[in-house]
Amino acid sequence: MFEATGREPMVRGRVSALKRLVETLGLLTCAAVLVGAVHAQERFPSGPIDIVTHASPGGGTDTTARTLLIGAREALGTDIAVIPRTGGGGIVAMSYVANRPRDGHTVLAITPTHLFAIARGQGPLTIDDLVPVARATDDPLVITVRSDSGIDDIEDLIALGRERPIKWGSTQVGSIDHVAGAVFAQVAGTELAVVPFAGGGEIVTNLMGGSIDAAALNLTEALQQIERGEFSALAVMAGERIEALPDTPTTVELGYDATFSTVRGYVVLRGTDEASIEILEQGLLAAMDHPSYLAYLDGAGLSRSAVAGREAWGEQLEQLYGDARQAMIDLGIIQP
Amino acid sequence: MPPPVARRRRPAEPMGLPGLEFAAAVFTDPTVIGLIIVGTLVGVVVGALPGLSSSMAVALLLPFSLYLDPIPSIAFLAALYCAGTFGGSITAILINAPGAPPAAATAFDGYPMAQKGEAGRALGTATIASVTGGTISVLVLLFAAPLLARVAYSFGPPEYFALAVLGLSMLATISGEARLKNLIGGCLGLLIATIGIDLTTGVDRFTFGVPELLDGIHFIPVLIGLFAVTELLTQAQHLGRKTSVVTLAALKLPSLADIRGVFATILRSSGIGTFIGILPAEGSTVAAMIGYNEAKRWSKRPEDFGKGAIDGVAGPEAANNAATGGAMVPTLALGIPGSATAAVILGGLQVQGLRPGPFLFEEQPALLYGIFFAMLFANALFLVIGLIGAKVFSRLSLVPPALLWPSVLVLCFVGAYGLEQSMVDVWVMVAAGILGLALKRYGFAAAPIVMGLVLGGLVETSLAQSMIIFDQQWSGFLGRPIALVFFVLAIGGIAGAPALRALRAMRGR
Repeated sequence: MFEATGREPMVRGRVSALKRLVETLGLLTCAAVLVGAVHAQERFPSGPIDIVTHASPGGGTDTTARTLLIGAREALGTDIAVIPRTGGGGIVAMSYVANRPRDGHTVLAITPTHLFAIARGQGPLTIDDLVPVARATDDPLVITVRSDSGIDDIEDLIALGRERPIKWGSTQVGSIDHVAGAVFAQVAGTELAVVPFAGGGEIVTNLMGGSIDAAALNLTEALQQIERGEFSALAVMAGERIEALPDTPTTVELGYDATFSTVRGYVVLRGTDEASIEILEQGLLAAMDHPSYLAYLDGAGLSRSAVAGREAWGEQLEQLYGDARQAMIDLGIIQP
Repeated sequence: MPPPVARRRRPAEPMGLPGLEFAAAVFTDPTVIGLIIVGTLVGVVVGALPGLSSSMAVALLLPFSLYLDPIPSIAFLAALYCAGTFGGSITAILINAPGAPPAAATAFDGYPMAQKGEAGRALGTATIASVTGGTISVLVLLFAAPLLARVAYSFGPPEYFALAVLGLSMLATISGEARLKNLIGGCLGLLIATIGIDLTTGVDRFTFGVPELLDGIHFIPVLIGLFAVTELLTQAQHLGRKTSVVTLAALKLPSLADIRGVFATILRSSGIGTFIGILPAEGSTVAAMIGYNEAKRWSKRPEDFGKGAIDGVAGPEAANNAATGGAMVPTLALGIPGSATAAVILGGLQVQGLRPGPFLFEEQPALLYGIFFAMLFANALFLVIGLIGAKVFSRLSLVPPALLWPSVLVLCFVGAYGLEQSMVDVWVMVAAGILGLALKRYGFAAAPIVMGLVLGGLVETSLAQSMIIFDQQWSGFLGRPIALVFFVLAIGGIAGAPALRALRAMRGR
């Protein structure tokens, strides 16, 4: 029992006695479950934890990770830092993580962009190296046009694309919105002229300025302009309609099997000790239940339901990777 | 085919009289004032140290700002942002190591001034130019953000391409008289800018299998290498043969006459900086380059540039600080970040549960005016810090080279490594330093290389994007009036002077 309280995370500030009691009880339960498993194991975490991202400061992945820090520090009782390893569609970040000890102190933030890179055989990791820990956000792609473009629904857009290639704004080649556009064009039998930009903000301004016709924007990027009536959402690239846009049909409803969402989650590499993963999962989940994280989700227009533990996240990771591979095969980028 | 120029669907709401009533919330709360002071001090230090950037500092402090209410937290980050851009000029002037990319152009003339024993004058000018530029841009933000934000929409790839061409049109004359060498240097910069994955094709170029290079060469190690390490190697050759001539006059601040002399430059650069800052894809680095170019173009004595012209310090410094206020325009009014640091501040707003964009102006006036007044206050603060600091910092130029430069070298290595804790950056810095020494020996200046490097990515990417948008027809540029204005200015800049001379010669006959 004394050993168990030693595991108790640092409690800072004025936490109500009740909350502390609940936390302690929770940890005791946790500890009781783990006692067998951790028997000969070193205490985890035994040092600071690094969350490695592939995104530059200010991007969705970076902000998601940083917002997590406060709650995660409280829950795991250790220092946590965000380590940006930008470039190459996540390859730099994956190479960095591959060279770190697999002891749970290095956590990799994963997005579909990483999965496309893995599916193309780039970087040092395979899908089997990734062990899911927790899911953080789910930011679906929405096919968006300017409201005064004369394009009222997806059929108009497809008709335009059969006349001349649709000027389609996208982030860098091989990113999720690029692949989403290519797959949509393929199933709809239409033509795209892809105009690549450095980031989502630039796509929004160019869509507004009329340099491009359409784009698959993340919901978080497009929601303001959609609510403002400046953009129209033609279709959500998902199987089911989303809360934020209840009147917008999905691509699946419309008969186009192209579903894409920027799902962000955390993984460690295979070989990491099972008990550590469990502590990490609980810590990250607690952090994502922290008011600061929930306020961020609400502020960005993201659904709170995206936060999930490793089981749900693991299933989705597998499915996302399957989709990513299929997309690469369909587009003729890799051989089946 | 959609019309190429932005069409405003609905007029942006006029903001009415800026909310002075909200200023009290900022200036009567000791916590907010304390945070702004801390933010400003941290910003100046972080900005001054090469390898630490304001965007990195803001990102690192973002989680801590969560403990605060929205107004103090964003005021803190905004003050840090303003001061960080200013801080870069200190090291650029004193040790030729720009603390951040926007200060690169400040080193062109700031360091020569310090070498002439005018460190205090250069630092003082940089301070006054920075504060004026920063203040003007915040006032613009205060009065016209929702209206001006729309400018961002009329800037597509063709306009960015034309802007970059305008910048590059000064390449041959940016430094010294060796025009051919400047052009060669500029091409070298453009070539370095091609390293990494090409945005439009996704093909990686000149990376030689080094994953760290996929994202391109980082500016900071190249700048530190090209400026500071080259200077160190040059100084090392003179060591023991040359005695320092720098005297206590180095501590003198600029005179009133100096300020009057550069005032036109400061105003011009403030306008340029605010405008370029508003454009989402470009930030203070490009603003400073264009600010420097225009200062030279309008100068009565352009031949002094690169040798310690006071306008060469005022031009880029006013522009890069004006770009901070400008960058906040689309960030707050549209929810589209105007720069890397503004992107993190945008994240900070989201973390507080706020959604930046048009709605913010209607729903959160107190917050917005809180940010505006915090930025104004931060500018006023670093006027004080800068002018007092100029006297203190400029003593650095009195330190004997044998002591100063080895310390600078340590700082260079730490800075290059600290950027991303990557040894690749350190090797890039060393290579840039050796290359810089070789080039200097054969009469090549650093300025055109830096300009090629800064504008290289922009000119290439925006041209490729434009050609896709124009269906590969060059004639598409004819339908973009803003781009045409920039092209005309560029042609005027190159051909104007010779044409005038020819005209005069004809008349004289």
